[in-house]
Amino acid sequence: MSRSVRYTSSPLLASRTPVWRSKFVVAAIALAFGGLVARAAYIQVYANDFFQRQGEVRFARTLELPANRGRILDRNGLILASSVPAPSIWAIPDDVDTDGDKDKLRTLAKLLEMPYADLAKKLDEDKTFVWVKRQVDADIAKEIAALNIKGIYQRKEYKRQYPEGEAAAHIVGFTNVEDNGQEGVELLYNKRLLGKPGMRHVIKDRLGRAVEDRGEIVPPVDGQDIQLSVDSKVQFFAYEKLKEAVLLQRAQAGSIVVLDAITGEVLALANYPSYVPDKRQNLTGAQLRNRALTDTFEPGSVMKPFTIGMALDKGKVKPTTIIDTAPGSWTITGATIHDSHPHGALTVQQVIQVSSNVGTAKIAMQMPASDMWETFSKAGFGQKPQVEFPGVVSGRLRPYAKWRPIEQATQSYGYGLSASLFQMVRSYTVFSHDGQIIPATLMKSSEPAVGVNVFSAATAAEVRKMLQMAAGPGGTGPKAQTQGYSVGGKSGTAYKQVGKGYGSDGNRKYRSWFVGMAPIDKPRLIVGVMLDEPSAGRYFGGDVAAPVFSETVQQTLRMMNVQPDMAVKPNIVASAVEESF
Amino acid sequence: MTRINLVLLLAVVASAIYLVNIQYESRRLFTELDKAQAEERRLVSEYERLKVEKRAQATSARVERIAREKLQMRLVLPAITSYVSYNESGAPTAKNEAKGVVNAASAAHEGAKP
Repeated sequence: MSRSVRYTSSPLLASRTPVWRSKFVVAAIALAFGGLVARAAYIQVYANDFFQRQGEVRFARTLELPANRGRILDRNGLILASSVPAPSIWAIPDDVDTDGDKDKLRTLAKLLEMPYADLAKKLDEDKTFVWVKRQVDADIAKEIAALNIKGIYQRKEYKRQYPEGEAAAHIVGFTNVEDNGQEGVELLYNKRLLGKPGMRHVIKDRLGRAVEDRGEIVPPVDGQDIQLSVDSKVQFFAYEKLKEAVLLQRAQAGSIVVLDAITGEVLALANYPSYVPDKRQNLTGAQLRNRALTDTFEPGSVMKPFTIGMALDKGKVKPTTIIDTAPGSWTITGATIHDSHPHGALTVQQVIQVSSNVGTAKIAMQMPASDMWETFSKAGFGQKPQVEFPGVVSGRLRPYAKWRPIEQATQSYGYGLSASLFQMVRSYTVFSHDGQIIPATLMKSSEPAVGVNVFSAATAAEVRKMLQMAAGPGGTGPKAQTQGYSVGGKSGTAYKQVGKGYGSDGNRKYRSWFVGMAPIDKPRLIVGVMLDEPSAGRYFGGDVAAPVFSETVQQTLRMMNVQPDMAVKPNIVASAVEESF
Repeated sequence: MTRINLVLLLAVVASAIYLVNIQYESRRLFTELDKAQAEERRLVSEYERLKVEKRAQATSARVERIAREKLQMRLVLPAITSYVSYNESGAPTAKNEAKGVVNAASAAHEGAKP
């Protein structure tokens, strides 16, 4: 049996323990505590930021709250451009099971309207991220989501839609895939249209759900809506009529501008060829050009009313003063100018009516060059139009000190200076607005514009009368006539510069203009039409551009509820109906 | 003394459990709120999209095409329009001698043969 030893009498206790051992243990424990304290201090104080950050990375997320891009509206609040959700489809190629999901992938290819081979090629790439297709329609995206293919994901994006399509393309412009404006109003007011994205910090749980807000939420600020002065109906039929004319006359291009003569608002501005803003594949520069604003040309006869107006204003001539234009040509310092038809003696009114170069030049030469320069400048020539628009140009008007006499003569009928169609149309507000030129605007405004005086009101009225004659029987633009509304306007047929000159007979290129207003006594509208190189045989502005003017004026005035100011032979058969109570 | 402590202990435990429960509930509700807000945003943008689509169906180009091709309509010209203006007494007077109600059908019929 075992020998029991009492604890107190254990021989082990008898031996004296060295004191250092206990001290050592105490020191070791103290050291360990010291270590803990140091570590705690390190974590809590010294490296606090690092650990805080590491913690947040694991559960805190910053979510961006997207802001919507503002819409572009026409004057009646109809949408010209708006952002709609258009998810982009992307994939992790490694995760896609190209064999097992083959049927689904075929359906996907079909939904995306791309050949299956293309899709397979994209999914074969050795990347961790591939765009399959960006910005697909929301309906298609829904169907794709329903397919539920592994490795195919969607990202929320927006794309711009332009319901008016090609008719308003040049005004509205378009955005790129990043939602930044590239052209037109989209570019001009990009800053206002763009919203400011908001932000929120949240804590997410294991399943990725946000469970708590942290800190302040910065709410997103949506972009502002921009309301233009454009009327989408006027815009549409102005574009349609222009397109018809360009195709009929086999012209290179054409532009039309419709201006409200009272407020200076642009009701329509269209060019042909145009493009569909949300389908921009194979877009050419010719389609993209906003010719009405960015291309300048020699206006030709459209300038004449300014020269005549000036002579009337300065008291050099009266509307009935006789000017001898025989024999249809006139030589100034060695250079000769011609009329297309010789006319003989004409009154000042008739000079405009039949568009005589010689007559206009003879009147112009009675005035000093400085006066002419001043009047033309006041009417906006050689000046930047006040309307803001990407690519807008100022045209060319050379300083009068450098004019030679022949140049003064040619400028009086529109050669040797240049202007855009938009400038031309705006300058005609001088005649429609009692001698004042008013600023044109693309923004909706309800107040009558305040103008700057160029001519007296009486002169403007005289010139309007001449414009009415020019657009009437015996004038150069009778095709500008409308049913019921009195119109006035000036046609122009300018030779295009070919190389250094204007081409030789039979080989000339033309630019046909018509700028006019209606109703002539109290103009509500100014419409300018320009066709570039009509080549279907006819090229006089009065033949090719005036019909577009006429149809546009006719429909626009009716739409604006303007009552006809001329007698119309009514075609209405009225039958009285018994009133019933 | 011990009894009071025991009661307090129970109270602390109960309140702790309640706190956990509330915290859980608040997170659950927050998630739900979040989901609902996301849904709201989705519906708003869907609404916007449908508005654009509606507008695209009613553009002048489409209206004109259908009016011309399907409905065989023609443009209104001043010759077949009766202009009605109000005089000072407020009673309507018709111009063009077309007093009373214009029979629209006959007007359209007449207008067809110029």
